[in-house]
Amino acid sequence: MAAVTLKNVIKRFGVFEIVHGANIDIDDGEFVVFVGPSGCGKSTLLRMIAGLEDISDGEIAIGGKVVNDVEAADRGIAMVFQSYALYPHMTVEQNLSFGLRMTGNPKADTERRVKRASEILRIAELMKRRPRQLSGGQRQRVAIGRAIVREPQVFLFDEPLSNLDAELRVQMRVEISRLHKELGVTMVYVTHDQTEAMTLADRIVVLNAGNIEQIGAPLDLYDDPANRFVAGFVGSPKMNFLAAKMVGADNGAAVVELVNHRGARLRKPLSDALPATGGDVVLGVRPEHFFDAGQGDCDLTLKADVAEHLGSVSYVYANSGTGGGREELIIEREASRHRANGDDLVVSIKADRSLLFDATGARIR
Amino acid sequence: MRYQNATAYRFLAPYLLIFSIFWLWPIIDSFLISFQATRTVPWRFAPTFNWGRLIGDPAFFNALKNTLLILVIQVPVMISLAIVMAVLLNSPLLKARGLFRFAFFAPVVVGEVAYSAVFRLMFNLDYGIINKLLNGIGLPSVDWFTNVTPAMAVIMMAVTWRWAGYNAIILLAGLQSIPEDVYEAATLDRVSKVKQFFYITLPLLKPIIVFCAVLSIIGTMQLFTEPFLITERGGPGGGTETLGLLLYRQGFRSLNFGYASAVAYTMAGLAIAISLVQIWLTREPK
Repeated sequence: MAAVTLKNVIKRFGVFEIVHGANIDIDDGEFVVFVGPSGCGKSTLLRMIAGLEDISDGEIAIGGKVVNDVEAADRGIAMVFQSYALYPHMTVEQNLSFGLRMTGNPKADTERRVKRASEILRIAELMKRRPRQLSGGQRQRVAIGRAIVREPQVFLFDEPLSNLDAELRVQMRVEISRLHKELGVTMVYVTHDQTEAMTLADRIVVLNAGNIEQIGAPLDLYDDPANRFVAGFVGSPKMNFLAAKMVGADNGAAVVELVNHRGARLRKPLSDALPATGGDVVLGVRPEHFFDAGQGDCDLTLKADVAEHLGSVSYVYANSGTGGGREELIIEREASRHRANGDDLVVSIKADRSLLFDATGARIR
Repeated sequence: MRYQNATAYRFLAPYLLIFSIFWLWPIIDSFLISFQATRTVPWRFAPTFNWGRLIGDPAFFNALKNTLLILVIQVPVMISLAIVMAVLLNSPLLKARGLFRFAFFAPVVVGEVAYSAVFRLMFNLDYGIINKLLNGIGLPSVDWFTNVTPAMAVIMMAVTWRWAGYNAIILLAGLQSIPEDVYEAATLDRVSKVKQFFYITLPLLKPIIVFCAVLSIIGTMQLFTEPFLITERGGPGGGTETLGLLLYRQGFRSLNFGYASAVAYTMAGLAIAISLVQIWLTREPK
């Protein structure tokens, strides 16, 4: 087991800088998820920890030891690849034991480790099969088994579930969580799926275009995002963003006008310095933070377009109508059979259940 | 359905006609001719005339021995060389990959007569660059074309030069189909590059290697150009005569088509048999 520390890690491919100075402290035994859209540099960051990619600048330490110049094989890590990367010509058993056999590990110890991994992952009955005779989920188990056999200090997962169907993904997610509890080893996990990040992580690192936007516990990111990107990326369905204008100050509170909602105004108490009057701001409201008319601080009249009934809840896709610009909003309602084709819908928002961002996307608290 | 098939066959008819006349019929006819005595006119049916002669003909066994000798030495050497070339071509460290790929493939497109003439010049006793190089490092000149062993070596070198690059390009395609992350996984498994080559690259490349080997076996069984042009019709004294050359000598010099056909069928049969054994020996375990 080991802590992982990244100090000012930079990655350049030719003249292009892909990762712009990442600083991350991963505690011993922690489960950290790197999440972000495609091309944000999360896989590159993981591959740099693995040693499969050189570091252009900065420092990576595993277990307190700087590993910049340590070969991938000697870093004490194991990695699970998106494509599984199993050896296609070997049986499951040979796949698991290959690394140990090639490095002259004692036979009895190799057998013990393979047996343990097969028990943990419940793949004992697959040992004589080859990868092509396995389903996607079974292959992924074998790939994880190969990592377990190495008894590494750190597990790295590179989008391990993205080739699986939705049901299997949920199942494997639970398995990986269970595995982390059972082994207690540091795990670093890369995904573009924020649901995976929210459900698995002790802490999430949100990346965007090579920058770390925020690091924090899943619910901290959800409740208290540092900026508009994190607010929009974490949570499903996404947070709604309402265009607004700063129209005045009232006793330490900002008064904002929702420009696409017929001049509706909200008084939002802030502890930060108030934005300049007349400036553009953005109000963020999560789908579940719309209340019935009159129950919040500001009512909005919308046209409901489509309703999705999921059983426990319904999502209403509504728009702000023709007043000003047209704004699309997603509103969570209690389960209903509301048909929503063009009906009027009045909802209310609360100042303490909405977030304010400046024009650059930075949060104003 | 039947009508659709009829239309398809009508479209295929011109090709099938030409195929039947110039491919299928000669194949069948030569098989029939191999059972006829063709040294006297008119030809007569005599099943044991050619096949009986084949079994006891020292010239046939000489040609068979030479062909198999080339097969056993040259094919493994060439395939090994081709694998090394393919691995080098696939290396990310290599600059100007396209140029090398072209250079390795180029011998195949060089005219056979031109390349044979160049090889004759290179191995010339008095003026050839090979002997000059040997002299340069203090070794005596070799009379390449008047002794059997050196003449055989020249044939093997020439065939290897001509076809190694071709096989390397086929193997390169196979190498490139092995996913990079399998090697990354092996690297993280602490498996050295050399062991990765023997335990991952070679096993995964096996179907392509077998394919190249079968192609080369078929090609070597038919070997004709090199012994005909470079060692002047299988010289010295039939020392490099191959089955292909024997067939030519019997069929087109002595006009003994019956015996030539028997030789041809023996060549084809051997090529099929050796290839099947090769495929069987390297089959995938269940």
